[in-house]
Amino acid sequence: MDVAFRKIDIDAFDDEVLREPDLYEEDPRGPAQALDEAKQKQVAVRSALARNDIVDALSIVLDNPPYGPNVEEAKNVSLQILLTILNTTKSTEISTVIKSLSMDARDILMKYLYKGMGKPGWGDISGSVLLGWHEKLTEIAGTGCIVRTMTDRRTV
Amino acid sequence: MSNVLRPYLAAVRSTLTAALTLENFSSQVVERHNKPEVETGGSKEVLLNPLIISRNENERVLIESSINSIRLSIKIKQADEIERILCHKFTRFMMQRAENFIVLRRKPVPGYDISFLITNTHSETMLKHKIVDFIIQFMEEVDREISEMKLSLNARARIVAETYLAAIAT
Amino acid sequence: MILLEAHNVIIKTTLADKLNKPSTLEVSFVDYDGVRFRLSTPERKTLLLLSMHIRCWDELVKYGALDVLRREYGSLLRDQAEAGFNVSMEIDLEQVPAGAEDREAFINSIALFKRNALAAPFEQGFKNQKELEAANAGQGELMQIHYRDEEAIYIQAADDRVTVIFSTVFRDETDRILGKVFLQEFVDARRLPALQNAPQVLYSNRDPPLEIRHLNLPKSEDIGYVTFVLFPRHFSNSSVTATTISHVQLFRDYLHYHIKCSKAYMHSRMRHRAAEFQKVLNRAKQENTSTEKKTVSGRTMVAR
Repeated sequence: MDVAFRKIDIDAFDDEVLREPDLYEEDPRGPAQALDEAKQKQVAVRSALARNDIVDALSIVLDNPPYGPNVEEAKNVSLQILLTILNTTKSTEISTVIKSLSMDARDILMKYLYKGMGKPGWGDISGSVLLGWHEKLTEIAGTGCIVRTMTDRRTV
Repeated sequence: MSNVLRPYLAAVRSTLTAALTLENFSSQVVERHNKPEVETGGSKEVLLNPLIISRNENERVLIESSINSIRLSIKIKQADEIERILCHKFTRFMMQRAENFIVLRRKPVPGYDISFLITNTHSETMLKHKIVDFIIQFMEEVDREISEMKLSLNARARIVAETYLAAIAT
Repeated sequence: MILLEAHNVIIKTTLADKLNKPSTLEVSFVDYDGVRFRLSTPERKTLLLLSMHIRCWDELVKYGALDVLRREYGSLLRDQAEAGFNVSMEIDLEQVPAGAEDREAFINSIALFKRNALAAPFEQGFKNQKELEAANAGQGELMQIHYRDEEAIYIQAADDRVTVIFSTVFRDETDRILGKVFLQEFVDARRLPALQNAPQVLYSNRDPPLEIRHLNLPKSEDIGYVTFVLFPRHFSNSSVTATTISHVQLFRDYLHYHIKCSKAYMHSRMRHRAAEFQKVLNRAKQENTSTEKKTVSGRTMVAR
């Protein structure tokens, strides 16, 4: 007897089944626009870094970051910009920098930290730098910040 | 605790503490079932974003959380063939005794060496911060244990070789 | 005990025991490398029959094992071996030397039965070397002793040395890796000034050494080859020769014995460590705080 029908995922045919896109709203910007914006930010961040203004640089990159699927390229550019900032910041300044960030910016920074740790060896990721930032950020923003990273489906 | 390891363990500790907010949750797929959602993966809305904490490519922790359970998987540092075999032996030894280590999973998640599964029952019947302590202490000591075993193996091999050769050296 | 003993403990203790108090007896026992022994009293209490079975007996005879045994045991050796065995000897307890020291030496020499049989190819190798040195040329015959199912000893003499090669099989991956660690130490240990005079040890994995490459042995990751290069100073006089032979022929057993010891040690460590972790986890368990609940009238509540 043919039993292959048993392996059909009938839930997929259910009208009320929950699909990935139902969980969150997609980034309103399209891939091209998101990438454009990311590149503009890159320029802005560079000039901020040239002025040695870490807080400003971080605020720029953490403001309205690209999220969701379809915008992989823009995400990678954003991560790359962020890593440059993190790597150039002196470890003694980290606390002051984090304290001057807004709540939302801290949450997004946490998301980026986990994203960076999730791809060890990618780009110029250094585990110890990310761990250092993570420690300081948790100290200031608390575990709630981590919980929000876990629950927010708008992954960066 | 060595200073290099501290931020890594601190990150695992805070992430695990954050993830250990579990509640009882009956399965939405099968009536009268209550399963760790992170294992069944049946309903997407109760699964949270998996987080990875890593020191480098060879040392990382994966924390997958859901509404009623979390799964924590550890990739232990293995520098060479000997450490790989020792790590394999040690984790296997632990996992064969999984029923004693209530939160230990019998099989690791692919790509990792050892996994823990903590459900809401565990976090209700046991002290949450002590479970976290246990995981952290495990991570701390497993590295040390493996390197000590390796040292003792080398020491034994040396003594064995020297004694044997001394007996026939003329 | 780090070094293995060349003699057989059962033969030694049983003989010493029976010398004091003869009685009928029949024991079967084994030694390293699947060698079987049988010690019995077929005729009378004071006449012991000791038989031995070695899987590579035919090869040993070819390399002069009978001559060596005859030299060691003389008339004790029987012409006809007991059924199921390769060689037998008769020990008449009434003919044993009387003095305590002589008696001890006698028992020891009997206990070395297996060692002496296996010594034949080595002695032959050393003899060949002397001849080749005199002739100042060439290489001797390659002697093969298949003393275990898949493992063998190869002995070859040259004009300035005798090469002994062991092939050894590591059944599982752990053994293979641990074996590598041990063998590497054998190679490294010789750098010590005190061990400069020890035989040179070479180790190769998978590919057999040059001397036996023409034999077309099966290639596999699990097989390791250990080469000992014995120089004339290792068999310059009879007592040195005896120690060299005793130790070299037990090399394979020595190696595997210590690999197993390491595994046992690691296991006990892991047991200990797991118990420690268990304690840590137990701290997480809450104390049983439920107190006995009573109703107003004093009855105990029981959960059904």
